[in-house]
Amino acid sequence: MDRTERLWLVTLIAIAVAFNALTLAPLVPWQRWLVLGRPHVDRRVEIEIADYTFRLPPEGVEVKAGEFVEFVATSRDVTYGLGAFRQDGTMVFQMQVLPGYENRLVWRFDAPGVYDIRSTEYSGPRHSEMFVDDAIRVLP
Amino acid sequence: MARKGWLERWTLRFAVVGLLFLALAGVEGVLMRTQLAAPGSLEGFESLMMNLRPVGREASSSELFYAMLTAHPIVGIYGFAYMCVMGAFYYLVPTLLKKEVRHPRLVPANFWLQIAGVLICWGAGFFGLFNSLYTLYWPLPVAYDRVPLAGSVAFGLGLVLIEVNVLFFAFNLFSTVLSRSDSRPYGVGRFLAAAFGIPRLLRWLGLRRGGPAEPDYEELPVFIVAVGRGSIDTVINAIVILSAGVLLLTYGLPALLAGIRLNPGAVDPLIYKNWFWWGLDMVADGNVLMYTAGTWYLLVPLLVNRKLYGEQVVRTVILADLLVSMFVWSHHLLGDRPQPLGLLILSGQFVTWGEFVTMGLTIFAVMMTIWKARPVKLSVPLRFVLGSIFSFIIGGVAGLIQANVGLSVVLHNTQWVVGIHAHMMLLGGLSMLIFAVIYALLPMLTGLEARSQRLASWHFWAWMGGAVVMAYAMGLAGIQGMLRRTIYTNGLYRPHMAVALVGGVLLMVGLVAFVANLVVTLGVRNVVELFLPRRLAPEPAGE
Repeated sequence: MDRTERLWLVTLIAIAVAFNALTLAPLVPWQRWLVLGRPHVDRRVEIEIADYTFRLPPEGVEVKAGEFVEFVATSRDVTYGLGAFRQDGTMVFQMQVLPGYENRLVWRFDAPGVYDIRSTEYSGPRHSEMFVDDAIRVLP
Repeated sequence: MARKGWLERWTLRFAVVGLLFLALAGVEGVLMRTQLAAPGSLEGFESLMMNLRPVGREASSSELFYAMLTAHPIVGIYGFAYMCVMGAFYYLVPTLLKKEVRHPRLVPANFWLQIAGVLICWGAGFFGLFNSLYTLYWPLPVAYDRVPLAGSVAFGLGLVLIEVNVLFFAFNLFSTVLSRSDSRPYGVGRFLAAAFGIPRLLRWLGLRRGGPAEPDYEELPVFIVAVGRGSIDTVINAIVILSAGVLLLTYGLPALLAGIRLNPGAVDPLIYKNWFWWGLDMVADGNVLMYTAGTWYLLVPLLVNRKLYGEQVVRTVILADLLVSMFVWSHHLLGDRPQPLGLLILSGQFVTWGEFVTMGLTIFAVMMTIWKARPVKLSVPLRFVLGSIFSFIIGGVAGLIQANVGLSVVLHNTQWVVGIHAHMMLLGGLSMLIFAVIYALLPMLTGLEARSQRLASWHFWAWMGGAVVMAYAMGLAGIQGMLRRTIYTNGLYRPHMAVALVGGVLLMVGLVAFVANLVVTLGVRNVVELFLPRRLAPEPAGE
């Protein structure tokens, strides 16, 4: 390995270390509660999915901005996904929903508003119909 | 051309059929792009196609879309890419080693079985409306209220056929590399140890000296090292996907033949998903990288007429690629919360970044080889090699951004993953390299140079432009949250999809220019004659 190549190898490793360090740090905000710590959960929201249909809590999903909400999603048949989306269609978060498991994700909404949910994994030909508009209300 | 050798003719046949599969995947790709850009626009075409289907009911538009989407990667990877790889390796491996193919009868068998397997999988989608997508996430492929039972069985059969055939191909490759004129071939155990660099490690530790009977990767041409090590991943991939096919048949056949429904709950979806992605990744993050590196190492020194830069380092890099490929699968499960976090960070993120280092060194060696050979003639194959390197950089970096425990929260299953990562790698990186190999091998196989420089330029710019336009349109949609595998009927992301469709059409223009160039170079008669039975007769002496 000549000097130029060694220098290049060091550069590659430096970029790899820097990128991984930066993205594991709270620079990516949700790393604080998904990887770096286990916050106290303020509210738990249970969502069951079966036959292409989301079953949300009967009282609806109403949370406060800034509190830690744990979404617990279960599937009774095949693999689905659970994703929250802003009104303009941009994604807030998503997770896979495996049948036979409790799929848990903690989230903290930083802005009040109304969010849609959508299945983020293909579950059969009717997959694209799996969305609920205005499913999550985040209060100030 | 008619007097060319037996192996050359088979290589050409593999290439021609590979390109036909690329055209099939391309046409279906453009149809799906049209559906995403303008939902409902294909209804007339769909009802026309329904006349060809034995299904006794009207299928929904989305059912047709997802059936097509399920077959698309099978046709693209196992049809186009694998056919071309088989054809090229069957010519290059014996030629570089100055040996015969160890089992010549397997060459035509591989050719026909691969075609049959891919067509059965495609037919399972086209005729049988099998629509669980290639991911086959358990238990969807056996949820017969969502995917048709007969289609599921046919897809399982096709997969089994493809993967058994791939195992035959890998066996033939290994037998050819390991065969020795003086005595019996090396045993499997010693070969595997050599592939994973164990003898080298033992020598380095002072525990053993390499003897003449030791299969030693240090002395083989570097391309063969890449083929040998990459093919270990090919075998693992084939075994894992074969097991998925067998599982589909285990559930499907009793249901189809005797009405017996086995309980899908007997298979754990998470363990299945780990097993499936571990195997599937042996292609996506395994043999693709090693075969590509090996092909760059072979082609570039030939094209610029200078020996490969840093060959010793490059051999070690191929070994590192093999080791990395064994442990990266978790980046496909970053959205799965029950998957242990440690595994996600280690295998899904850190080990995946190992590819940044290995591919970084690979590309560096190739670029340094070209740099040190200045001035170089920018021939057609070299342009395509540079196009493939450019695409690998874009697609690879995009992959590393999504293979991240933090960023995957907003990137997993979006158009980013499939657009700027997967399709940039496949259409830009892999396909352009296959085109480079075809342009470079054409004179060796037929004695003819590609006739039209202008068509070659059209091919290059339309293909490269199409790949970039499509990848960026999908990538930008993805980063805003547009999901893959999802049809939006509310008008969201329509402009992105319209631009991506333009990219798809440009890709088709590039492919048409390429095929036109091949046809004017070879002549239609010669291409047709390749497949006429009377031409298949001569076989090399002795096996």
